[in-house]
Amino acid sequence: MSRNDMTHHISNYRKIFVYLLIGTVLTVTASYLEFNVQNSIAGAVFVGLTIATVKGYLVAANFMHLNSEKKIIHWILLLTVFFLGLLLFIPLLWDLNLMSHY
Amino acid sequence: MEIPYNVEVREDTGLYNSKLGIWLFLASEIMLFGGLFSAYILLRTGAPMWPPIGADGHSVLHILKDTVPHATFNTVVLILSSVTMVMAWVSLKQKDLSKYKLYLGTTIVCAIIFLVVKYFEYSHKIHEGFVPAHDTYMALYFTLTGLHGLHIIGGIVVLAYFFGPGINMWVSEPERFTNRIEIVGLYWHFVDLVWIFLFPILYLLN
Repeated sequence: MSRNDMTHHISNYRKIFVYLLIGTVLTVTASYLEFNVQNSIAGAVFVGLTIATVKGYLVAANFMHLNSEKKIIHWILLLTVFFLGLLLFIPLLWDLNLMSHY
Repeated sequence: MEIPYNVEVREDTGLYNSKLGIWLFLASEIMLFGGLFSAYILLRTGAPMWPPIGADGHSVLHILKDTVPHATFNTVVLILSSVTMVMAWVSLKQKDLSKYKLYLGTTIVCAIIFLVVKYFEYSHKIHEGFVPAHDTYMALYFTLTGLHGLHIIGGIVVLAYFFGPGINMWVSEPERFTNRIEIVGLYWHFVDLVWIFLFPILYLLN
C-alpha cells in the first residue's frame, strides 16, 4: 500500500473512532429513556442492541478490514454467524413455550 | 525449515496463512462467547425479574447503576485501544518504528487501565456480597466479564512480546513482522467487539 492509501486509512480510522464514541453516548443515553413497549424494557433492549450491532459492524468492517477482505473470510464468518444465530435462538424455544412439554 | 506463506499469499485462498488461521480462531471464539450469550438469553427470559433477587433478599440493580460510569469509561478506553492498535499497524506500513512503539505502548497502557478499573469494580461488588453464587445475573456477569478479562490479559502478553523481544523481527523480516501485528490486531479488535456487546447487556439493559 502506498503512503496515500495509508493517509486515507488514517482519516477513516479517526472518523470511525468518533462514530464509536457517539454510539457509546447514544447507548448510555438510550438506557435512561423510557420506551413504553407493553410495560417491558423490550424497546430499550432493541435500541441498545441495535446500536451495539452498528458499533460492532464499524469495528469489524474498518479496523478488521472486513470491507476489503477476501471472499473466503466472508464465507467463514457467514457460516459462523449462522451457527451463532442458531445458538442464540435455541433458548427462545423455551421462552415461546415450544419446548414446555420436555 | 522455512514456513511457507508467511508473507506471500496462497493462490487458492488469496491470503497469507496466518490470516486465515486467526479468522478460523476468531470464528471459534465467536461460538465460545455465543454459548455464554445463549445462556444469558435463557436465564434472563426465564427469570421473573432481572437482575434476580438473591437469597439475601437483595438485587444488584442499585449497585449496577453506580458502575455504569466505570463501564462507560472502560468502553471508551477499549475503543481507543482499538484505534491505537490499528495505527500501530499503519505505522509499520509507513516504516515508522518509533510511531509503532508509541501506538502499541498506548494500546498496552489502555489494556492495563481497563483491567485496573475492572479490579475496582469486582472488589466493590464482592465487598457488597454480590459474588457469583448470589444469583444467576452475578454468575453470568463474572463468567462473561471474567472470560473477557482473560482475553485482555492474553492480549497484553502478546502485545508486550511484540513491544519487547518480538520487535527484533522488524530488522530481519519487516513484512512478516507487519503481518504479525495485523494478526494480533485482529484478535485485539475482536476483544473490543465482544465488549461492545457485553457493555449494554450487563450494565445498561436491566
